[in-house]
Amino acid sequence: MMLRLGLLAAALLSSASFAAAQPSAPAAPLSAAAPLSTAAERVFDLAKPRILQIRSLLQATGRQSSLGSGFLVTPEGLAITNYHVVSQYALDPKTYRLEFLAPDGSKGALRLLAFDVAHDLAVVKVDRGDLPYFEFDPRALADNLPKGERIYAMGNPLDLGFTIVEGTYNGLVDKSYDERIHFSGAINPGMSGGPVAGGDGRIVGVNVAKRLDGENVGFLVPAKFASDLIDRAKKGPPLVVDKAREEVGRQLASWQASFYATLRDRGFRSSSFGPYRGLESAAPWMTCWGATNADAIPKPRTAVNSTRCSSATGIFVSDRILTGRLDFAYSYFKAVDLNAFQFSKELSQRSWGFDGGLSKRLTEQECRDDFVEAGTGARPPLRATWCMRAYREFEGLYNVTLLALTQDRDREALLAQLTMQGVSYDNAVALGRRFLEAIEWAK
Amino acid sequence: MGEVMWIEVLSRHGEVGSRQRIDGDAATVGRAFDNDVVLDDPHVAPHHLRISRGEDGELVAEDLGTLNGLFHEHGTTRTPRVSLAKDPGIRIGRTVLRVHDSRHPVAPERLLTPPRAHAKWAIGLGVLVVGALAILEWLDLTAEPNATVIVRPVLGFMTGLALWTGAWALVSRIFLGQARFALQLRIALSACAALIVWDQLTESISFSFAWRALSDYAGLGFWVLLAAVCWAHLRVIGPRHMRVAMGLVVALTCAGAALQYLARSESQKLVGTRASLGDLRPPEFRLAPLASADDFFRKAAFTKAKVDQARAREPSSGSLFGDEATD
Repeated sequence: MMLRLGLLAAALLSSASFAAAQPSAPAAPLSAAAPLSTAAERVFDLAKPRILQIRSLLQATGRQSSLGSGFLVTPEGLAITNYHVVSQYALDPKTYRLEFLAPDGSKGALRLLAFDVAHDLAVVKVDRGDLPYFEFDPRALADNLPKGERIYAMGNPLDLGFTIVEGTYNGLVDKSYDERIHFSGAINPGMSGGPVAGGDGRIVGVNVAKRLDGENVGFLVPAKFASDLIDRAKKGPPLVVDKAREEVGRQLASWQASFYATLRDRGFRSSSFGPYRGLESAAPWMTCWGATNADAIPKPRTAVNSTRCSSATGIFVSDRILTGRLDFAYSYFKAVDLNAFQFSKELSQRSWGFDGGLSKRLTEQECRDDFVEAGTGARPPLRATWCMRAYREFEGLYNVTLLALTQDRDREALLAQLTMQGVSYDNAVALGRRFLEAIEWAK
Repeated sequence: MGEVMWIEVLSRHGEVGSRQRIDGDAATVGRAFDNDVVLDDPHVAPHHLRISRGEDGELVAEDLGTLNGLFHEHGTTRTPRVSLAKDPGIRIGRTVLRVHDSRHPVAPERLLTPPRAHAKWAIGLGVLVVGALAILEWLDLTAEPNATVIVRPVLGFMTGLALWTGAWALVSRIFLGQARFALQLRIALSACAALIVWDQLTESISFSFAWRALSDYAGLGFWVLLAAVCWAHLRVIGPRHMRVAMGLVVALTCAGAALQYLARSESQKLVGTRASLGDLRPPEFRLAPLASADDFFRKAAFTKAKVDQARAREPSSGSLFGDEATD
């Protein structure tokens, strides 16, 4: 099981035990015959020889450890799936191997040719030639599909068998840095990497994730990224599987480089929090939420108003590494009836970063504290902490937390928190500096 | 000659059991009743020892040809003749004797602690410490004001203090014969006051200068204080075996401190640490000058160096079952 899109979504990968654990409810009797979609029948017929179940097996026992789907897109046997379906093998080829299962029951080994971690795609090769294959929908490649069009997601959900699900194309997700198609239809664990085709059987996207807090809210990777990756796999040098980890690191590094460059280009704005101002991103894909304790009972002794803007970018690297998130968070504290000592105690108890955790995939945290005056002009002095952890597996990538607390008044303060995951040191320092410099007095 | 000597027979606990004045230059010690000092120790011969003055006028003990012989007080080798000038202690059988000349120097008179002085000190310190604790609890109170929140830790402290002092008083009663409760209480309270001052001082300095490491290791002060307070309690009980007892105390406190820091670093490794600003004080406590953004990020560069080192020291392993990590 894995989570996608930050805290709100889950992806489709599943273990067999998950499927077995679900009790199946008895089907309700149909009172009237539902109209059958002849298009769905046609699409599934066409798709059947072209879809695959893709399994990660443990080398040692030959047992499956994760399942997903895939589909053939070239006559040479190149197939598309999700990176997260093959991530175990890519990161640890000595422990895992890949295998496909076709709907006709044939099995065989798979070779990993290329992957795109940021878009969650991978290209694998079936060791057979002259196979039927899917074509990409040119309208989808040109982002030219009408909202509301019937599309069909296929795959092998929960290892129950090859399945087709009818749903609706709902355009690209509004607040998302990485382009994702919003698919209204039921997609489930095990369908990850499976094809989504229009009524003519041409590929529109690739199943990738669904929201856990909604109903029938699924996400697809747009077909153009799959088509690009196929081109790269055909032209580029073949992937050395033992060096796949370095390749993941390179892709994460270049993803964060373009993410932070885009962030700069999109600009920043200064938002006010009580008598203070702080930096927030103006990028449209930052989602902001606010919270207050004004209505708490008993009446709080410190009024707290907080906001948090998150990029909601979550890049799945492995079961234990989800990275790529950026958060700007501010809490404005004002003592109601606390004295200066009690107020500072309250602040000590609340001045914790969001990013912590016990991942052994990161080094232990290192922090530095200081009192800072981040720029010229009238501005509050700050108490700031910079904390850093390095990704053990990927060179030059860090999780950074920057906390800053205003130090100009003793019963009022702004706590500013900047959290960056999977960021290069230079980008972290550049944004961190900008973040500190932007903490000012309102007026 | 008119010289006088004193022969002290020590009890099994090391105190003087009896002291006998000998007028003259020689005395004999043994079980027989014709001796000057008569002992009941069955390992002592009827005529065991003769104490006399040598030619230089110093006292000397001689074995009178016995089965069990003559030893220095702490010695292990049998000696036929022991000079008592430097070390007045000797052992015969299971009995320890000390022989003093009339010229033997004695310690000067010690000032008597006025009656109830320790009790008065203890009460004063007690009021101070309990007051400080209550004030500190109140300053830390950020939730609903509630008397029990302040009273409970104060009562807990008083109970702990009573148990601690009571235990020392009991030990003192057993070994010294006197409980000396007021003095033990005064010692314990002094240590508590010192601990409060140390704690507040280190936390404040740690904030004032942004030295987080100070508050991380200030806990070591507790262990030093614990060792010091044990030393003070032991001194009241008496100087005997002080070295052994103090060795034990130091070893135990070192072990305690080591265990605490080991457990902390282990738990940090297990559950990880979250970024935090640490223990904060009101802004007026700041003493460090304000750093510029350049200075701050220069410091931040050290964290990069540190985590990069940690990464190089402990590279991620490849596969658990594979032969070797991918190189």
